[in-house]
Amino acid sequence: MTQHTPAPQHAPAAQTNPVAVPKRPFARHNLGTVVEFEFTRTLKKRGFWIATLAIPVVIAIVFALVYLSNSSSSASADAQKTASMSFTYTDNSGLIVPEIATTMGGKKASDPGQALQDVKKGLSDAYFVYPAEPAKQSVKAFGSDKGIFENNKYDAVAKQLLTASAQAKVGSPQLTAAASGGVRTETQTYKDGQLAGGFGSAVPPLMFLVIFYVSIILLSNQMLSSTLEEKENRVTEMILTTLNPTTLILGKVAALFMVGLVQILVFLTPIVVGFIFFRDKLAIPDLDLSTISFEPGTMIVGALLLLGGFTVFTGVLVAIGAVMPSTKEAGTIFGPLMGLIFVPFYAISLIISDPRAPIVQIFTYFPLSAPITALLRNAFGTLSPVESVVIIAELFITGFLVLRLAAHLFRYGSIQYSGKLSIAGTFRKRSSTAGAAAK
Amino acid sequence: MRLGDAAAEPLVHIQDFRMDFGDKTVIEDLSFDVRAGETFGFLGSNGCGKTTTLRALLGIYQPTAGTLHIGGKFFAPSDGARLGYLPEERGLYKKESVLDVMVYFGRLKGLSKSHAKAWSRDYLERVDLGDKATTRLDKLSGGQQQKVQLGVTIMNDPELLILDEPTKGFDPVNRRLLMDIIEEQKLAGATVIMVTHQMEEVERLCDRVILLKDGTARAYGTVAEVQEQFGGTLYRLTYSGALPSSPLYDVVTDDGGSAELSPCPGGDEATVLRHLIDGGVAVRSFTTARTSLEEVFIKVYGEHHELAGV
Repeated sequence: MTQHTPAPQHAPAAQTNPVAVPKRPFARHNLGTVVEFEFTRTLKKRGFWIATLAIPVVIAIVFALVYLSNSSSSASADAQKTASMSFTYTDNSGLIVPEIATTMGGKKASDPGQALQDVKKGLSDAYFVYPAEPAKQSVKAFGSDKGIFENNKYDAVAKQLLTASAQAKVGSPQLTAAASGGVRTETQTYKDGQLAGGFGSAVPPLMFLVIFYVSIILLSNQMLSSTLEEKENRVTEMILTTLNPTTLILGKVAALFMVGLVQILVFLTPIVVGFIFFRDKLAIPDLDLSTISFEPGTMIVGALLLLGGFTVFTGVLVAIGAVMPSTKEAGTIFGPLMGLIFVPFYAISLIISDPRAPIVQIFTYFPLSAPITALLRNAFGTLSPVESVVIIAELFITGFLVLRLAAHLFRYGSIQYSGKLSIAGTFRKRSSTAGAAAK
Repeated sequence: MRLGDAAAEPLVHIQDFRMDFGDKTVIEDLSFDVRAGETFGFLGSNGCGKTTTLRALLGIYQPTAGTLHIGGKFFAPSDGARLGYLPEERGLYKKESVLDVMVYFGRLKGLSKSHAKAWSRDYLERVDLGDKATTRLDKLSGGQQQKVQLGVTIMNDPELLILDEPTKGFDPVNRRLLMDIIEEQKLAGATVIMVTHQMEEVERLCDRVILLKDGTARAYGTVAEVQEQFGGTLYRLTYSGALPSSPLYDVVTDDGGSAELSPCPGGDEATVLRHLIDGGVAVRSFTTARTSLEEVFIKVYGEHHELAGV
């Protein structure tokens, strides 16, 4: 029933704006405002900095412990070098050169039983028994207990005496090294007539995998709770009258990405400082930058896979937040989702060694497992150009569709405060006239 | 940019609005206008579709059918700079400081950062929260949070103010503050749409009202017109003697010493009073009263309907 009555008798009040309020331009409104608000409020939180700084602090503590430990080990090793050790030995192999043994503090034992008793009584540091065939039988070392780590010196001295004696009998250090496999090889491979980069070329594109992994670990919870926050705080209706849900979601994604970059910088700072200034003391492997090569095609594919994967991942999380009424309930879906994203790591050797395996193909094309699988294959050179194009297109199309769905669900789900949203219900048929209203 | 031109009425135009949730029709063929500059009461029992209508008007819900225009077009978030909306389900970012939240909403509504900050500080001083600007919202009392919420609603000097059960949960102090703000906005020329169950406030503030029941309009017009439609004028008198029957009035109540008469055509106050005196009735008092909106509400929704919040 529709009822209309005549117009009211009174005249409407004059419609004037009483205060000349300075307004900002409203074109493409409010994206920057959302990004700034979301970014700065995260950085203003004490908890954020406690959590963020905790990791580099832990890294610094580990570095300090390693440094102290190395200093202590170095001092200990120096002490062991200067310390003299007296030992006796019996040689059934005939390989031991007595002069070398004497130089090292050794003396041939005439009575094996007495030699062992001297060790037990502490009269001798060690007693070594060289068998008739050292290649097949064990050399036995008896020594007075000096602790788990220092006891290793008995093994070391026994081997060193045998090795030095063998080298003396062969008379050629090169022959000895060749026979023991102590030689280095350098491999060069060619691809399309050009020298291939080898492992050095895999390192740069693997950084995209690291960034993807770290961004998920650091941002997933924030992303999930960030979109749920509007619902839990009952602030959605006021928000949706000032900006559209897509703008809000894009703003949140951009802000969280910036927050992630800040965290990565904070994490990397002590590592970089440690590498540059304390590399020798911390026993950090010396990275030969000359072996690192940047292949443009691989890098571009890696960057696109990262962006596509990030889009899919954020869209899915926002959609979960829009459907679920609370963070607690969203967690029930969040866990399995993380499992699907990281499951390729369990098959990493297969992905690298046999990219044609059916399970690797499934991981490569399933949208949630595709980013990590494809990033790995891209880094190790097993992702063909056709596969790259297909997967990148798949990720961006899926990401776009999921973000659209997420924005749609946010629009209708974020004001459903008490229960789970019916996704199908949000797509019910509407008249074309009405449809225009929501655009 | 303005939502509507004062010369071009109405500011809000709803025509043949229908809203279905699944198989259930919540609103059916609802049509009404809100004119620029008026204060419009949107009345109805709980669950009759008031909030749904407002959400559809603001694009939060997608209507099943119909036209819902503000200023001659569908509402878009970019029009939010001229809107002040206090939703029924209300809240703010509780873990942020008062000032940060107010400035954020001010910027979303088109204010510059400096203006939003200055306005917020002035407002907080006005409502005795000047020392709480940097306090987190969840550290404030419920009443203090309500004040902040009100400030956020009006900080852009809205051309259209939509208040969905504005006094719900408000303590008397904040209720008074809210009423003052509505009157200020009204005087400043704002158009106000108010969903409320407080009938005395409607009588005091609203120019026109619509009564919604089961998704359809049951009454629509000026407050006087609606009162007239559902009972109109009553004559209340105390007397002695015998009350005669007359074509000039119907006796609504009569306990032998006091009565309520409903006038019939031609039964104006003077004629009825003269008729009673001529009929030998000793009239000790005679007053004219309109049917209150609360009585209208009860007539529309039934004697046993509870007026939430009344």
